[in-house]
Amino acid sequence: MKRRSFGRQSLGLSAGLAIGSVQPGGWLQALAGQLQDHEENASDSERILVVIQLSGGNDGLNTVIPYGDENYAKARPKLAIPSSQLIKLNNLLGFHPSLKSLETSWSANRFSIVQGVGYAKPNRSHFESMDIWHTCHEKKDRTQSGWIGRWVSGESDSESPDSAAIHLGSEPLPLACQQRGVQIPSLASLEQMRLKSKLPQGPAESMDQAGSLLDFVSTSTQAALQVSERLEKILAKPDTSGDFPKTLLGEKLRAVSRLILAGVKTRVYYVTLDGFDTHANQPDIHASLLKQWSEALSAFLSRLEQSGHQDRVLVMTFSEFGRRVAENASQGTDHGAAAPLFLAGPRLTKLVQGLHPELDDLDDGDLRFGIDFRAVYAAVLDGWLQADSSKALEGDFRSAGSDLRLFT
Amino acid sequence: MQQANLLRGQDLGQDRSQDLGAIDPQMAWSAWEPTPEEPWDAKRVRHLMRRGGFGAKASEVKQLLDAGPSKAIDVLMGKQSLQATEAFEQESGQIVSAVRSGGNIQSIAAWWLHRMLHSPSPLVEKMTLFWHGHFATGADKVNDTELMVEQNRMLREHALGDYRSLVQAVSKDPAMLLYLDSATNRKTHPNENYARELMELFCLGEGNYTEQDVQQLARCFTGWEIRRKSFRFNPYQHDSGFKKLFDNDKIESGEEAIEAVVTHGSMPTFIAGKLVRFFVFDEPDCPPEFLAPLADEFQKGQFAIEPLVRKILSSKLLLSDWSRGKKVRSPVEFIVESMRCLQMTTNLDRLAKGLDGVGQALFNPPNVKGWDGGRAWINSSTLIGRSNLVVDLLREPATRFARGSLDAWLKSEKVSNQSQWLEWLESSLVSIPLSPSDRELLQTSVANSDGGFDQWRRMLVALSQNPKFHLS
Repeated sequence: MKRRSFGRQSLGLSAGLAIGSVQPGGWLQALAGQLQDHEENASDSERILVVIQLSGGNDGLNTVIPYGDENYAKARPKLAIPSSQLIKLNNLLGFHPSLKSLETSWSANRFSIVQGVGYAKPNRSHFESMDIWHTCHEKKDRTQSGWIGRWVSGESDSESPDSAAIHLGSEPLPLACQQRGVQIPSLASLEQMRLKSKLPQGPAESMDQAGSLLDFVSTSTQAALQVSERLEKILAKPDTSGDFPKTLLGEKLRAVSRLILAGVKTRVYYVTLDGFDTHANQPDIHASLLKQWSEALSAFLSRLEQSGHQDRVLVMTFSEFGRRVAENASQGTDHGAAAPLFLAGPRLTKLVQGLHPELDDLDDGDLRFGIDFRAVYAAVLDGWLQADSSKALEGDFRSAGSDLRLFT
Repeated sequence: MQQANLLRGQDLGQDRSQDLGAIDPQMAWSAWEPTPEEPWDAKRVRHLMRRGGFGAKASEVKQLLDAGPSKAIDVLMGKQSLQATEAFEQESGQIVSAVRSGGNIQSIAAWWLHRMLHSPSPLVEKMTLFWHGHFATGADKVNDTELMVEQNRMLREHALGDYRSLVQAVSKDPAMLLYLDSATNRKTHPNENYARELMELFCLGEGNYTEQDVQQLARCFTGWEIRRKSFRFNPYQHDSGFKKLFDNDKIESGEEAIEAVVTHGSMPTFIAGKLVRFFVFDEPDCPPEFLAPLADEFQKGQFAIEPLVRKILSSKLLLSDWSRGKKVRSPVEFIVESMRCLQMTTNLDRLAKGLDGVGQALFNPPNVKGWDGGRAWINSSTLIGRSNLVVDLLREPATRFARGSLDAWLKSEKVSNQSQWLEWLESSLVSIPLSPSDRELLQTSVANSDGGFDQWRRMLVALSQNPKFHLS
């Protein structure tokens, strides 16, 4: 039998409280007492990272558009966005019109595009490529652990009552957040975590060897009951999250802002927006997804600003790949390779990082990458979360982005 | 011989934790046979019904006990209850004709749940669910309930048939054509969506084809369209030029291309691996030496599915105690098994909606890869959700036990106190033994709360929060 305290990894579990050591009926009260202390002492200084994953492969070429390059309109006879509709940044680049609501962010130097992000030998399978982004490894040298999961297991703040990372969404926990021995809670929504029939039972002890299926379900159950308890207290406070668009991503970012404003000590939040696999009828679908993203993000950023948290939070948006440069016959695009990645928050050095990939020097019809995605992760881990990126990434990628300097 | 002992499962606690490496692959898939130490008993029958169906009603346990291990799979396929099948199909047909064109996907999901709960051929429904997760198609994108019903029927028709015909049928299935955009695949600029997933997810697995193959295969499927909700070949949109797929330059049509994909050397292993994970154990990934005997069988049998599934379900690996607790119950299994064992009926539309909330919306898998299964079923949200789903089911006014009240049903089952009740639940619904401390915890929590329920229902809620309840 193995009992483990997994304090820092489990939202709602104080470090001093060993699971299973409290008699049935007693642990909830013990937990409640500890939580109160923590809330009163909550400090708001720590930096937070919010990761937004655009699932399906966002068409980067129609998001940050090289309208100044004649090859763009040639490759996209039906799908090219007319330059009159673009939000122009300079003589070469313009944003898709759906990004309008983010204008205040880039005018305030709080937005950054990292151009041509990808990796060598690009994989065009959604699932493989997403796994590469999540684990930072190709299939052959991969374990079931992701970069955020590994970052969490290296965090040593055992005083925190909250999980270092949280995934918000009804899809399974992303591989990026997985790591054996670490429980990162996955919440479909804050409200959904309310237990309808509470029983005064201590969580069952894990009776199996560490790492087994039963051990996993046991520790997950313990974590779930404790997160539920912690959230109940947070939900009992007035909701100050403010106005958000009534969209899937809007709701998720509203929940993140509610947790941040309530003083939850989680450092990394992970959310996804699906639907970017635009093989057919791309124009309307893509425009509406980009609008959903930019409006939810802009509502989130302005709520942070109103509440004085704006200098603590960095938002990073990525997708598993961009799309083929040439359009297909279904008014859509097929799976591609390199694409821009987006950062929003304080201390960003410039609006455009790196060069737009050449449209006349393609790799099997796809854009070549200029910056390895792991170099961006490394910069965010070292420069923003003040962690040791080589541990979380299982490799030193600090120089993989050549002269990448994201933060002042 | 140590390995033989292992698979006879003389020491259950030890054997469940045994490493696969200690088991001989050939013996693993040989037919299980009863011994004095390991008899064909109710416990084993229930285990088989969990894996090869959706749990067992008391009458079905008896039916399988009488049939014996050699006829058990026939029973699961409904081969011994032809009359019941006819009556059931009539009832199911009436339900679906009332809802098929209404556009409400929850009603369609409710119709399928009714099939899982009441079909005399549970293995056929289980395999239909397997193929639904394998050839995952989402109703949200297809946006036509009638086409989703038709696809479901097609999958059921081929569920234990011939894999070759199944892939041909799926490739021309209107819901699939819409879901993976084949319907708009034209010769000028082929759309690669279906071609890629056919190889990556449906037949071969990633790494067993090249990007060149994706592009060539996409060209073979140009001109495959939908007209009036049916497949149609449009020769004007078909690219009939020279193509080369897997170094074969004799391939022209989509049908020929499918044949080349299905007969590709990596297909049998890929499908065997998915079946083993679905029926036998979630993890680790099944080692190649365990897949080889199954892949051989599949190949020799000209890709007939039924013999392969029979081999897996009658095997020592599955029927010995080794495989117990080696799978996480999916949300559908979790709830349908509970309802079948307790002879429950309820408002199935609401239940279908409830399943959506715990990660398994029928007809709306998360993406073309289907449900990941295993550990991916379990997280903070789904665990709280599973317990809440049980609470909702018990609060639902339409919920009945054997068409009556829970009290009357308990009386008929001769359950009159909490320890009898727990014993009843454990033997019918829990795959691995509860420990004395599990039992104590369950009894204490039932005694010390009301939670708005009587003690019988509280025990069900308490059990839904016990980790062992989530394993099969």
